Amino acid sequence: MDDLLLSKIRLGVVAELLNAQWVSFTDLAHAIETTNGNLGAHLAKLVDAGYIAEEKTYAGRRPLSRYSLTESGRAAFVAHVRQLESLLSGASEG
Amino acid sequence: MDSSDAREHLEMVERIVAASSRKLDVSGELFLVWGLASGTLDLIVQLVSDGRVPGAAVWAGPLIVIAAVIYTAIRVRQYRAMPAGRMTLLEREFLNVLWIALSMAFAVNVIGGNMFSQWAQSAIWSVAAAIVLFYIAVHGNRRALVGAIVLLLSIALANFSLPIAGYVLAGGMYLGYAGFGLADMLARE
Repeated sequence: MDDLLLSKIRLGVVAELLNAQWVSFTDLAHAIETTNGNLGAHLAKLVDAGYIAEEKTYAGRRPLSRYSLTESGRAAFVAHVRQLESLLSGASEG
Repeated sequence: MDSSDAREHLEMVERIVAASSRKLDVSGELFLVWGLASGTLDLIVQLVSDGRVPGAAVWAGPLIVIAAVIYTAIRVRQYRAMPAGRMTLLEREFLNVLWIALSMAFAVNVIGGNMFSQWAQSAIWSVAAAIVLFYIAVHGNRRALVGAIVLLLSIALANFSLPIAGYVLAGGMYLGYAGFGLADMLARE
């Protein structure tokens, strides 16, 4: 399994980005229901691993941080979900 | 990680993915504005060719287009100034379809202008508008499907009523394109 995606918050972030071109920090914090500080720390780990990309831009005059899923992040997510599914099917067979 | 954790994580992923696979959300307002502008252009040209209004009225056409462009630019600028939460892959794809359909209609009108009569050029815009609405329709919007069908029907009807083709194509734009925009705006309220 992917160690980075064993965290429920990080897995949730990647799932949120799956169907999105980008999602803002505020929207992610709202969707994941966690504090800004906690989310920021998890996002930094995902950015460092190359799973997500961070873009700093402006909405009018307000600064806006937004995130998108990279190809390696998408591949890691798919592989991780497959392993979760096989763990479940293995458990139900056993 | 044990199987109950795996189940919990998978359920969360399914919940998030289901919620993020939303219907395509478009701005009905811009369809209303451009439907009214396009329909009015057809209407003016037909009225002038019927001699019901003075020939100088055709100059209202460029003014209407400029007004619609300015309005669109203002709204796009306002939209960009809002702290938008997200852009879905579906929304990005829609913008691509919108851009391709409208720019192709414009290009064909410019490069093939000598081949198309007045009403053929208008009909090309109706086809582009119908393509955009069909794209919205395949993502679960029945109002867009109705609008696209109305636009196609207006072309078919105009084909068999050439003396009043401008009125028919204008009607298609008013009902199909602007009508879709208005219906979508009302449905949100």
